[in-house]
Amino acid sequence: MGIVIVDGKEVEIGPHERLNGIQAAARAGVEIPHYCWHPGLSVVASCRMCLVEVGTRDPKTGQIVMLPKLVPACNTPAKDGTVLATNSEKVARARAMVEEDLLLRHPIDCPICDKAGECRLQDYHFKYGQAERRAEIRPFTSRKRDIGDVILFVDRCVMCTRCVRFVREITGTSELMVVNRGSHEEIDVLPELPLNNKLSGNVVDLCPVGALADKDFLYKQRVWYLRRKPSVCALCATGCSIWIEENQDRIHRIKPRENPFVNQWWICNEGRYGYPFVHHPRRLRGVWQRQNERLLQVNWPTAIGRIADMAQNARRPALCLSPFLTNEEAYLACRWFKNAHSASIVSLGPIPYQGEDEHFPGGFVISAEKCPNRLGVESVAHWFEQPPLPFEELLTQVASGQIDTVIVLGGYIKPWITPEQAATLRGASHLIVADLFPSPLSDKADLILGTTAYAEHEGSYVNRRHRLQWLTRAVRPPMGNRSLGSVFWELNGMNGLYQPKSILAELASSIPYFSAAAGEVPEHGVDLRVNQLATQETSSKQFTA
Amino acid sequence: MESFEPVLLANIGKADSHTLKVYERNGGYQTLRRVLTQLSPQEVLEEVRISALRGRGGAGFPTGLKWSFLPADHPGPIYFCVNADESEPGTFCNRVLMELDPHQVLEGTIISAYATRATTAYVYLRYEYPLAYQRLSHAIQEAYQAGYLGKNILGTGFNLEMFIHRGAGAYICGEETGLIESIEGKRAWPRTKPPFPAVEGLFRKPTVVNNVETVACVRHIMERGAEWFRSIGVPPDPNDPRDPGSFGPKLFCVSGHVNRPGCFEAPLGIPCRQLIEEYARGVRLGRQVKAVVPGGLSTGVLSADELDTPMDFSGPIKAGCLGLGTGGVIVMDETDPMIDFLHNSCRFFAHESCGQCTPCREGTAWALRIVERIKAGRGRLVDLDLLLEIADNIGIIPGTTICGLADGAAWPIKTAIRKFRGELEDYIKHTNPHGWSATAPILDLAHETNGSRSETTSVGIK
Amino acid sequence: MSEENRTSLVESNGFAFLSPEVVASIQDYFPRYPNRRAVVLPALHVIQESLGFVPKGAVLELAQVLGIPASEIEDTLSFYQFFKQDRPLGKYRIWVCRSLSCALCGGENLLEHLREQLGVQPGETTPDGRFTLEAAECLGACECAPAVLINDKLYPRMTQEKLDSLLKELP
Repeated sequence: MGIVIVDGKEVEIGPHERLNGIQAAARAGVEIPHYCWHPGLSVVASCRMCLVEVGTRDPKTGQIVMLPKLVPACNTPAKDGTVLATNSEKVARARAMVEEDLLLRHPIDCPICDKAGECRLQDYHFKYGQAERRAEIRPFTSRKRDIGDVILFVDRCVMCTRCVRFVREITGTSELMVVNRGSHEEIDVLPELPLNNKLSGNVVDLCPVGALADKDFLYKQRVWYLRRKPSVCALCATGCSIWIEENQDRIHRIKPRENPFVNQWWICNEGRYGYPFVHHPRRLRGVWQRQNERLLQVNWPTAIGRIADMAQNARRPALCLSPFLTNEEAYLACRWFKNAHSASIVSLGPIPYQGEDEHFPGGFVISAEKCPNRLGVESVAHWFEQPPLPFEELLTQVASGQIDTVIVLGGYIKPWITPEQAATLRGASHLIVADLFPSPLSDKADLILGTTAYAEHEGSYVNRRHRLQWLTRAVRPPMGNRSLGSVFWELNGMNGLYQPKSILAELASSIPYFSAAAGEVPEHGVDLRVNQLATQETSSKQFTA
Repeated sequence: MESFEPVLLANIGKADSHTLKVYERNGGYQTLRRVLTQLSPQEVLEEVRISALRGRGGAGFPTGLKWSFLPADHPGPIYFCVNADESEPGTFCNRVLMELDPHQVLEGTIISAYATRATTAYVYLRYEYPLAYQRLSHAIQEAYQAGYLGKNILGTGFNLEMFIHRGAGAYICGEETGLIESIEGKRAWPRTKPPFPAVEGLFRKPTVVNNVETVACVRHIMERGAEWFRSIGVPPDPNDPRDPGSFGPKLFCVSGHVNRPGCFEAPLGIPCRQLIEEYARGVRLGRQVKAVVPGGLSTGVLSADELDTPMDFSGPIKAGCLGLGTGGVIVMDETDPMIDFLHNSCRFFAHESCGQCTPCREGTAWALRIVERIKAGRGRLVDLDLLLEIADNIGIIPGTTICGLADGAAWPIKTAIRKFRGELEDYIKHTNPHGWSATAPILDLAHETNGSRSETTSVGIK
Repeated sequence: MSEENRTSLVESNGFAFLSPEVVASIQDYFPRYPNRRAVVLPALHVIQESLGFVPKGAVLELAQVLGIPASEIEDTLSFYQFFKQDRPLGKYRIWVCRSLSCALCGGENLLEHLREQLGVQPGETTPDGRFTLEAAECLGACECAPAVLINDKLYPRMTQEKLDSLLKELP
């Protein structure tokens, strides 16, 4: 246990914590501005924006002795007795100097730069910079350079080297380099080796200014119009925590949300750029009933009635759960289903796989399993059916006539069923399909339900490491679509609006696997295996001096 | 005082002084033999520590103290680097030693490596010294053949491999961690300290980096003793408990507008005036000294009435200079405009700044642009204050940069403006009669000079 | 190099820029250091001495020889501003010092003079491939200012006339 004094205020640091000055100050509620430091990357202390005064407090006498020189807070360990002064005149002058230096040659592109509104250069200039420009250098060059996965606006760069360190330390791909010397330095790539790796989008997040720009987001939206909601990526079993940033129900950007237990500060490109399907024009919208080869649009009350009828009047109905359902949806569906028919059987939909798990030197993993909630859905299914029917077995039983009614709850992002499999399932007398996109199956279904994607509903997923995380709804679904959670809430006879949190509570109290999820789900999720809530402990990537 | 018996330059002037034969004939390698067979590494370190030898490369850090930072029980390997990058303008004494007495440098290195328990020594030699490279390579070959390098040196079990690692034209490679990064194959961006090289240096192992002249001194200290070394030079200031003194002989390089430029050996503490008037035979063409760089460009300038400054580690500091530096004395006379000095210096440091940290990268470039604008006839008096502000705030002394290049960039600006303000103000008023008094930021876009991307063209109005 | 020589190189080890001799020279440095990255700078010198420059293709091949990413080699290479990448150096690389001591003794004028005589800017090579003009920062020959370094030979106390006749006499 130690005490660090920041601007006269005491903060405690744990005995095993290794914090630097920036982190200790943050704990005291004090911002130390910085460009080049990042908790996930090596420390270079080159931007010099975080310069502070440091000293020590004698444990016996309490006397404080400050060092005469400024030191970079990012490279200063915060130990018991460390004293930091972050708002002295010396510090203020140093910050103003660094800020002025960075603006000397920086093209004033704010009106045309994506970063405006979330740019450290802007923010720090406003807070710590000086009012009048004294340099006569007029930077007119604002070069745009395509370096592969992202765009580089060369002259905006402040040489923090975060991007270079990222591709050297986290992805191990080393495409980015610094060329030249002194004030002529630039970031560049070899033409034969452009920036091209599966985590490349993260360099745009890392860039503290608008030098690196996302090709996907370029010129699309001003960031101050975006609202962000915390959620979880649905593209693979890693389950990265994300921010969904939207404006008027249109997602414009996905950003990684810091989670020391899952993705730290990163997200892969598939997850980052994988949201357009949410707004794809081919999405299933509304509810459709097929009668005599014709599709008629029906309303939800009718649809819900039809679902209930088909289930009750079946000889042996099957419910097929995709690994894209939230835990609450799976639970409500199963609970209703098992009550609706004594011979009902729960089955599992196919799990989409692609390639192998990809491990990166920094520890990040892209899962081969391309769905967000296999563990959660399977655990729910196992609770209601011992064992749940594998998909192949479902096909066999439909083909043999044992199962005559099939309700498929999809939510698959990519094509997931072959025409042959669809034809087999069509062998059932009644076929209900809820999904995001048309498929060979929905082309044959009696009842087609347009349902919600991950950004459009509230609930929880369990990732590959048994961490349960909460999704917040970010955008409204296409008009006419309802979340399966709300559909089965109604089918279960529950009144009022769908309350997914209450269903999670029920899950936690009924199914042992989910017992750790009792109570409010913390921002970083909860590890279901350890049966204790995740604490706010700092991440595994600590400051190392 | 020209009667000072040369120690470091003792062999210079003898025919074939660079060969092993001549070196050994004049007593070379006997000290090495004695050290390896009779003394432990710790004893050598102690002797060097007592001698209070201070690094000759510019920083003047006590060598024995630097060596003592090495961890005691490290399994190794420990690396010893000889800093032969010598790029400080006005300095050429390392070159003289390597060209004309390379074995002295080798013997000093081997003794130093023994004391620091190093097993590999790299001589980081700037590429622009081709003759030194030839002579040093040849000397190393001779030393290997004679058994002074390699395995089991002189049968004592001490192993030392020595290699030359050639630079490629970057001043920052003379900074010890820049040198280390350069050997490691990366861009020579100096490292943040701590950790210091003695703890974590080359290839992340304990490393000592010493200047060529420093290791040459080590040989003589071990030959004649620490007491002898302390008998030369200036004892510590009794009023300053942290002053280790300035002991030993020093090579002073005098150049510029003198009659006899050259490398001279004299005790530390010799007055600057004596170096100029006696050793270098005074200012050319009967002119008067105007300004003198005492220790290489980065130390700044002494004015004409500061020439009695003793050339030891404290003297130039008291006269407002950065320090003794490398002892490279550059003499300017009354026909040399200070604006040209300022321009030359700013251009040098802007070109050599490694670019890693913001204040130096941007500050040196900005200073150059300001001086260019002044030279182009668009200077203002407030520009001198702006230059002072830039110079006062960059460097490791205020703590705003990673290495001391910024301090080196700052001191010429500071000393030139503070000591020659009148001349510079006159220049500005004379060349910009209509605008010298302006204080508002320049908003006139028509006359902006956007710097060229090419380093080697001189920049002016395009 | 001639087309047929280049073809046989490609056949022997797949390299179009680094000859087997150059590769062997580079590999000679391996035992000096605990890792191959440290060979980058010596290797760049070997390559420039052999080819007259270090084209991007050579950087890519060197990356294979050393087993480190090509971008990291290019990063180091560009820092020194010593290595040319677009076209080979002239037969003679003329470094004219312009640091303080040489500037005081007329170094800038020498540089300007050569700039006019050769018709190239510092950093450039004459069209006939004979001379590359470079502005040097302190060659460490201040006692013989103004100093000019041409390839491996230092010329002390140069004047415009001496330079002119020297350049004429060079083979």
